[in-house]
This record gives sequence, structure tokens and C-alpha cells, in this order.
Amino acid sequence: MAYDKPIPPKGLHTQPFWDGAKEGKLMLPRCTSCNRVHWYPRLICPFCHATEIEWIEASGEGRIHTFAVQHRAFGGWAKEVPYVTAYIDLAEGDRMMTVLRGVDAERPETIEIGGLVRVEFEEADEDTHIPFWRVAEAS
Amino acid sequence: MAANLKNAAAIVGAAESNEIGYPEERGPKVTSLQHHIEAIKNVTDLTGIPISDIEGVFSTGWSQQLAEHLGIRPHYLDTTTVGGCSFQVHVHHALAAIHAGIIDIALVSHGQAGWSYRGAGGGGRPVAGEIDPGTEMTMPYGVFGAPSNYAHAMVRHMHRFGTTAEDFAHVSVVTRQWAMLNPRALMFSKDTNPFGGPITVADVMEARLIAWPLTLFHCCLVTDHGGAVIVARPEIAKSLRTRPVWVAGAGESMGHQNMLEMEDFTATSASRSSAIAYEMAGLGPQDMEMAMIYDSFTITAAMTAEMLGLAPRGKGYTLWKEGHAAPGGRLPINTNGGGLSFNHSGMYGMQLLVEAYRQLSGTAEDGVNGIEGKQTNARTCVVNGTGGTLSTTGTLVLASDE
Repeated sequence: MAYDKPIPPKGLHTQPFWDGAKEGKLMLPRCTSCNRVHWYPRLICPFCHATEIEWIEASGEGRIHTFAVQHRAFGGWAKEVPYVTAYIDLAEGDRMMTVLRGVDAERPETIEIGGLVRVEFEEADEDTHIPFWRVAEAS
Repeated sequence: MAANLKNAAAIVGAAESNEIGYPEERGPKVTSLQHHIEAIKNVTDLTGIPISDIEGVFSTGWSQQLAEHLGIRPHYLDTTTVGGCSFQVHVHHALAAIHAGIIDIALVSHGQAGWSYRGAGGGGRPVAGEIDPGTEMTMPYGVFGAPSNYAHAMVRHMHRFGTTAEDFAHVSVVTRQWAMLNPRALMFSKDTNPFGGPITVADVMEARLIAWPLTLFHCCLVTDHGGAVIVARPEIAKSLRTRPVWVAGAGESMGHQNMLEMEDFTATSASRSSAIAYEMAGLGPQDMEMAMIYDSFTITAAMTAEMLGLAPRGKGYTLWKEGHAAPGGRLPINTNGGGLSFNHSGMYGMQLLVEAYRQLSGTAEDGVNGIEGKQTNARTCVVNGTGGTLSTTGTLVLASDE
């Protein structure tokens, strides 16, 4: 079935991210001056204000910072309720938003803040592979 | 009479963005945001003023996005948008802010991809057809409106401080108690609304889930409402038949625009905006005899009470749970019933002002705002509005006329 949830238009400076996603790679912007990763992508480093930004391939690992369970939604998301939205602390630094996979939305008390998550990608259209994060299996 | 602002401030540098004209004839098209950032980089390089020293941001609607993109937290935000003369007006406003001692360094910025995004319209505001990177990277993820965002802050608060949804439910219960003293409140009684007061913690917890852990009763109303206040200089204020309520202190700040950039999900910029306001007033939280706190959600009110210094960190909810914020309590909060139980039109901050004025001017006791009988005896009130997704705050310290 065709992807029926919002697909973001692409900005002028984020193509390396979408190119990487198409290959299953999580690309993150990093300042060449202070070496800090920031998210979302910037035209200027929000930490040191240098303007030379490079893209690096990330580990694809992170941890749950906080989450919520959505019971009211519209469009393509409406049929998915309840689902869990979350903010992920990236292993490389800074934070990314997602819809969390591998969790039981009916039992939010079982979702662990600080829990390890890994990125995966879903093809929304030919140019857009959207990252989602899944709780890592206990090893 | 206007203060004499002559020479109160100077323009110390000016620069343009890099790719002006018809950028597509040379390379890729350019966004308005890029024009802003290039010009800001150039003018700060020129003057040697670090971007991190900028205290006030003035633009035609961009100020919050620019500050977030730059990673700065200004304490003066101006988005006056009055067409092509906006930037002269911004300089005027900056002059006043500097003269007043609120800020030392103001950034006035403009970026408008009038050619690259021709036909998209926008009049200098962020335009259709351009996507800002924060939106680009969050719009796929199924959040819809305020409750779906604010719930993340409540969960983090619960995680960090061991608070529970029941703790926050007391905020809702108490605002219904205030609403029951205000016949104009939507939730005045079960006759005015099936969800009207009184309600219990169990009622709040059993209401329909909107975004766990927020049930419907953790969320503010959505109603029609309007309001207005007049601010005047002291000589005029003293000559009118109405009683003045003095603006003893005022402050503003921001944490982020996009919740993705919320550094600490258990804190807002109200700690900074209130610090400025308290210092200006020469008063502190211990001197406040009531509070009007934007209660878009129970978490908003409880967390903001912590930011305003009215309760220890992690303990904001206790003001409601222990009855201090309730009618007859030592620190009445949201005496009109708040956004949770009185009215909430979408941008509720005006109603905070109207109610604070009525309480401090003694006009809340004559029936204009409620049933007979004075609601509070407060002489001081801290008023805090929160905008966006726990993004921006404005704090006023108001005092009655002695």
C-alpha cells in the first residue's frame, strides 16, 4: 500500500541526509570547527557559529529521552492510533524525533526512558526514506 | 511625555547576504533563511560582535526561528511586520529597548528570497514553498497540535521527579473550583457544561486519552474569547477613574521554537524571563500574593510554577494538590478558572492580564468577574504566559496601587 502519511518537502541543504537514508545510512551534520554534531541541520553551527558543516555517517544508535502515546491523530496516522512518539538522544549527540517501533502503546509503563534504540528506514517515496527508531532487543 | 532617546543607541555595523540578485543564474536558488544567516554572519564578522552576545532579535516574523537556528536565547523578541518600513520600526524599537536598559546589543535581520521563491508570496515572513529544516525533520512523525507535543514534557517530568499523572490532575481539579466562583466560566457547573465543576482526580484520570499521559481534562479548553488592556504613563494612570495596576517588572525569553530543540523537557525559559522581571521589580517569588500562569495543560502550569520560583523543582503540582492555589489558599493561582476551566481561545495570555488587573485593582469583587464576595486580597501577582510548544515565555510582576 502506498505510504499515506506526511512526506516532508526537501530543503536546499539537507540532500546528503536524504541521499544517505536511501542507502540505509543515518547521516548527521557535524561542525568542522568544533566537531559537534547538531540536529536539525543548520546553515551555521548552533554551538560555535562556524559555517563549515560536514556530513558524517552515524552509528544509528540512540536512547529514548522522552515519549508520549498519541490517541488522537489525523490523515494517515489516524488509523495507527495509539502509537508512540519519542525524542531520541543520538549516540553522536543532540536529539532526533521519531515514532517509536517495537513498543506496546497500550502499556506505556513498559517503555523505558534511557532504553537503547536503533534506526531503520521506511520508503515513503522514491526520494524519501524516513528514519524510524526501534527498541533494541535485549541481548 | 516621551523620554528623550537622542543618542541612546547607534547602528554599529551593516552587511548583506552573499547570494543576492538572481542566485539561480549562478547556482542553486537560495532560501530566505539562508539570506538571514549569511547577513548575520557577515555583520557579526564585520563588527567582531560574537553571535552569542546578541540579546535582542528583531525581524518580520522570523525572530524565534533565527534565534533557534543560531542557538541563542535572546531576552528581547520583536517580530513587527509592517511592510517595507519594518526595519526602520525595528531600529526604533531597539533604540527604546536599549534606552530602557533591557538589552545592549540588538540584531535587526532581513532575508527574503523574493526571486528564488517568486510567486510564493509571504511579504518577508517565512514563505510557502520554503521548508525550514526543523519542520522538515519532524513533520513525518505524527504529532498533531499542542497536546501531542506537551505530553512529552510531562513524561520526562514524571521520569525525572517521580511525579504522576494523578499529581498533575490536581491542577485541573482546582481550576474547576475557581471556575465555580465565576459564572462566566465555561466549566462553572454541570449545568453550563457536562464536564463542569466540581470534578475529582478520578474524573480527570478516567477522561478520554488525548496523548498519554494527558487525558481530555489535563487539556485546556478551545473557545472564543477576546480581551484588551490599556497601558499608560503614570501621570495619566493617576488621573483616570479606574485604579492603576503597576507593571513593576517585565521579562521575556525563549528556549526554542521546535520542541526538537527543547534542551530540558522539564524546564522552560520562564526561569529566565521571571528572573529579569523579579529583578526589575525588586521583588521575588516569596513576595507574590497570587499568580496567573498559562495553563494550556496541567503540566504547563505545574512546571511553570517551578520556573517562577513559587515551588521547588519537581514540586510545582503540590501548590494545587495541597490546596495552596485553591480558593482560600495562601497563593491563589488562576482565579478566573484558567485556560483549563474558564476560557481559552488559542492564545490565552490576554486573559491572564485581564484577570490579574481585576484582582489587583479590586474590581473582581463587584460582580464583574464573578459572584459577590472578594476572591483574593492579593496586592502582587506574577503573570506568566507561555507560547508555542513550551517555547517562549513572558513574565510580568504586577502590583496594586497602594
